[in-house]
Amino acid sequence: MRCLVIEDDADTSRYVCNGLKEAGHAATPCGNGLDGLHYAVNENWDAIILDRMLPGQVDGLSIVGKLRDLGKRTPVLIISALTSVDERVRGLRAGGDDYISKPFAFSELLARLEALRRRACPGQESMRLQVADLSLDKRTFQVVRASQSINLQPREFRLLEYLMRHEGQVVTRTMLLEAVWDCHFDPQTNVIDVQISRLRNKIDKGFSPALIHTVRGSGYVLAARESAPLAADAP
Amino acid sequence: MVVLRRSVTTQLALAYGLVVAASVALVSAALFFGTIGVLNRAVDAKIERVSNRLMQNDGKGPAYAVLARRINRLLADGINSDTEIYLLLSPGGRPVAGNISTWPDASTPFSRPVTRHVIRVGRPSLARIIVRRLPGGARLFVGSDLRPEALIHTLVVRALIAGAGLSLILVVIGTVYLRRQIERRIAEIGRTAREIEAGDLTRRVPSFGDDEFGRLGLGINRMLDRIENLMDGVRHVSNAIAHDLRTPLARVRARLEEALRPGRSREELSEAATEAIEGIDTLIRVFEKLLQIAEAESGMRTRSFETVDLNRVVHDMVELYDAMAEQEQVGLTTSGEAPVLALGDRDLLANAVASLIDNAIKYGGAGAQVQVSASSDSRCLHLTVQDNGPGIPSEEIPRVTERFYRLDQSRSLSGNGLGLSIVRAIATLHGGWLELRNACPGLVARIVLPTARDAADEDSPTRIA
Repeated sequence: MRCLVIEDDADTSRYVCNGLKEAGHAATPCGNGLDGLHYAVNENWDAIILDRMLPGQVDGLSIVGKLRDLGKRTPVLIISALTSVDERVRGLRAGGDDYISKPFAFSELLARLEALRRRACPGQESMRLQVADLSLDKRTFQVVRASQSINLQPREFRLLEYLMRHEGQVVTRTMLLEAVWDCHFDPQTNVIDVQISRLRNKIDKGFSPALIHTVRGSGYVLAARESAPLAADAP
Repeated sequence: MVVLRRSVTTQLALAYGLVVAASVALVSAALFFGTIGVLNRAVDAKIERVSNRLMQNDGKGPAYAVLARRINRLLADGINSDTEIYLLLSPGGRPVAGNISTWPDASTPFSRPVTRHVIRVGRPSLARIIVRRLPGGARLFVGSDLRPEALIHTLVVRALIAGAGLSLILVVIGTVYLRRQIERRIAEIGRTAREIEAGDLTRRVPSFGDDEFGRLGLGINRMLDRIENLMDGVRHVSNAIAHDLRTPLARVRARLEEALRPGRSREELSEAATEAIEGIDTLIRVFEKLLQIAEAESGMRTRSFETVDLNRVVHDMVELYDAMAEQEQVGLTTSGEAPVLALGDRDLLANAVASLIDNAIKYGGAGAQVQVSASSDSRCLHLTVQDNGPGIPSEEIPRVTERFYRLDQSRSLSGNGLGLSIVRAIATLHGGWLELRNACPGLVARIVLPTARDAADEDSPTRIA
């Protein structure tokens, strides 16, 4: 993935760029709004990571706005120290695809970025998902593993569907909260861990190999492999 | 002049004075021309009438002798003898009868009242006179001395001047009084403002009663209450940060320092770093919660309110927590399907319900039953979370919504002591409040909210619980 990182804080910028490189992506740092706008508009990127508050006349939101005005659909992930819900809404309205507040874990950023890329090249959203011997059918609401039908509650179904759609990608607890329960707040306790563990009991217990893996310090990944991709670990 | 220009009250008083003075002048003029004009017209009508009568008392026109006799009789009858003026001149210009010794010359127009100086009974006087021409060139003068009118004229002018003068004096006194009154009240508001500026936030504008200034004072006082409240909140947060965030910070710092001691393995180092990150994440979460409380308490989010189905929120949150309840062996149930509509922020309300469910599961303990419901009556909406756990000692209930306050027996459990503060702040933001009550056994936590209609009607949906 070719990423443009528009961020004026040198430490954060280095942290993000190094992390992206370790994860096997190319990252171009850019330290001010004017250059950022120039690069964003004149070159093709797979994703743009954008700080909202930048020195110079051009701030993050106007870069997104300009980009969208020109008809460019490049996925934009906004990172900002402005954390309130209103600010988040403003960022998304301006044309950002996702919003992450500072301070953030790199794994969260990477997970969201990969989800964005996936969204940017949408194929037909298929009604049938298959990972190893686990299959999920959206039309019949049926989940089958190794020819055994598994009974899931509606939310568990949505949770599994989300995990399967992001097969092989790390999804964070926050992403799950937002996508499955539509919660944009932090519920303090490990509700998601408990939900995942119940889901595991239903789809992994007694089957081999285990499909749902915990990525320490980040979240979860559903994959047929034994271990989670290392790239998603926090540097 | 500088002083005059700068004072609104002086300008007001001056403008008021000028308006009153102008109206007094107008009234006086109207009165003057009204009275004197009427008098003058009355005199003119009288002399015209009298001259007409003298002229017409004979069908073929009056003969001198008859006319002279009539004039003499009129002069002798004792009626109007102070003012009446008659003169009959022969065609040759010789006076035949009458009481004036000089008369208007021949150029005086006929049959139209004019004002002239004449000598009447040996005394000069100003008179209103009408001249009539008789057949054969003789002339008849009928008039009236204007001395009584002049007296009335003087009297009216004097009265008007006295009245106007008195009014102006009253106006001056009035404007000075008005100015003083306004200045006194403004000065009191100003004094309160200065005292508050000097740091005493408890000062309030004194009550002036139910007039504009009274209402202004009430408005200012309400604003000051709100500011004081917010300031208290800020002070509380700073205290809380000072006391409750130092401990976890110290812990993280100690862990890292320990990890840097010589002879530590790579694994130990990485373990310490991971723990430090977790510790810092916890701190960040606390910061976010504090900011969220501050944001809710400042009432800034009411802008994004929309219609929310509380029952939907309850079901969503129960579905979020059902796995945890299972794990903790707590029965988590909800009842009711009918929509309960409120005006609010879905995320915040969900957050509040989540916090209450979280508390109920955590403190209810294994085997507890937690019942969550959304309901409404004619006046209020309720979000209720009831458990049958140990509850909260009654004397502690008022304190548990304070930031960072934790019951002694709950200190061993995870949590940061902010949950109920957030719930209360969210309830307050929505124009409602949080009720906590022991159900013996267990605790009933209830968020009471205004109905969607009431919430939309209310100007400021913030109310201090």
